[in-house]
Amino acid sequence: MMAVAFAAGVGVLVGAAVLLLLQARTYPVVLGVVMLSYAVNLFLFASGGLRRNAAPVVGSAEVLADPLPQALVLTAIVISFAMTALLVVVAVRAQQAFGDDHVDVSLGEDGDE
Amino acid sequence: MVAPSLAVDWVAVTVVGLTVVSAVGVALFHRRRLFALILLSAVGVGVSLLFAAFSAPDLVLTQLAVEVVSIVLLLLVLYLLPRSTPSERRPGMHVLRMGLAVTLGVAAAVLVHGMLVNPVESIAQYYVDNAVPGGGGHNVVNVILVDFRGFDTLGEITVLAVAAVGIGTLLHKFAPVLPTEDQFPRAADAHPALLRLQARVLLPLALAFSAYVMLRGHQLPGGGFVAGLITGGALVLQYMANGAEWSQRRLGGAHHRLVAAGVALATLTGVASWGFGHPFLTSTHGHWVVPVLGHVELASAMAFDLGVYTTVVGVTLQILTTLGEVTVPGSLSRHHDGWVQEGGA
Repeated sequence: MMAVAFAAGVGVLVGAAVLLLLQARTYPVVLGVVMLSYAVNLFLFASGGLRRNAAPVVGSAEVLADPLPQALVLTAIVISFAMTALLVVVAVRAQQAFGDDHVDVSLGEDGDE
Repeated sequence: MVAPSLAVDWVAVTVVGLTVVSAVGVALFHRRRLFALILLSAVGVGVSLLFAAFSAPDLVLTQLAVEVVSIVLLLLVLYLLPRSTPSERRPGMHVLRMGLAVTLGVAAAVLVHGMLVNPVESIAQYYVDNAVPGGGGHNVVNVILVDFRGFDTLGEITVLAVAAVGIGTLLHKFAPVLPTEDQFPRAADAHPALLRLQARVLLPLALAFSAYVMLRGHQLPGGGFVAGLITGGALVLQYMANGAEWSQRRLGGAHHRLVAAGVALATLTGVASWGFGHPFLTSTHGHWVVPVLGHVELASAMAFDLGVYTTVVGVTLQILTTLGEVTVPGSLSRHHDGWVQEGGA
């Protein structure tokens, strides 16, 4: 039941992220990337199994949670912040250069709109 | 190792529920950009609560600290963008988008569920057994980051440094045109007195707390990444409360040097082990009795962690201050040696 709830949560996050990524403006795409990084981090985290009251500090519990996915996710969280920032800055530069924040600039004025 | 079977925990289920509601809200209301951002931050808090529920204190700290700086980042960007997303006029696309989103969402859920209910053979026990004898630290996550897999971490802080340099380059001498219609209202008082005073009182407390988190990192949840984000967040608050010019005069503007110093320190820690005839990034640790402090366990990996800390502070400041500066067009102009104020404060 807990596994079902957790899995469903990750699934909804992925679905919402994909929906946002497929929008035609840069801002929702950035939101989608942030949302997808949440989902991927939870996915990686879940690969170590879910445990209650088992923080991976030696001596704090009998059986410890798997520390390896946690270490990988920790750096992934910080790196996704830097990548989001880079993406955002590219989006802002593009919006300033073309006067429009449409992801497909050639369609911006008369194509998709 | 078998997959741990978990009893239903209604607190955790509620957290999942709130996260899901916020995520759906972001997807539904993404056209109202500020509202969507507030909901997105709720998703981030939900994710960190899930980490808290399932025994990952290091991830809770990191996720919350990153949440603060990434929301500030996206708020800065909203300053340059219209406040709403115009709607597209192609109904067929909407059905296609929904179909893809549902398919991929269900696929991800099935994958995660399969992973959670099937037994896994984990290599975790090696790290747990060797953290104290091999790395001199009780916090296994931190020992993995700065010791066992230190080379990974060195690569990761290099990625951070490259991203910061890229952002600095993209925004160099960049003077954006603010949206003329559908823009967010500008604050009448750019630097409110209450925020200014609070920020100054908070700074020493935040710095002391980040030093505490940094020092305990090898033994208890904490470490260079989290401490760096806390320091970075506290300094960014000074920029927000007092303005770029005020903060620049006190902090100096060369955050890229901080990034370089951090990566250099981490690399040098690795190189130093060659001097003792050991492979790159080999660490050592020992136990000392220091007057006043008592028993102290120190590891050379903590110097590496200091490099991580310095890089993260530099990257956070570099990203948010360069982006912050371009959102104040006209009032400041860049000179080769710093900032000169032209308009009134």
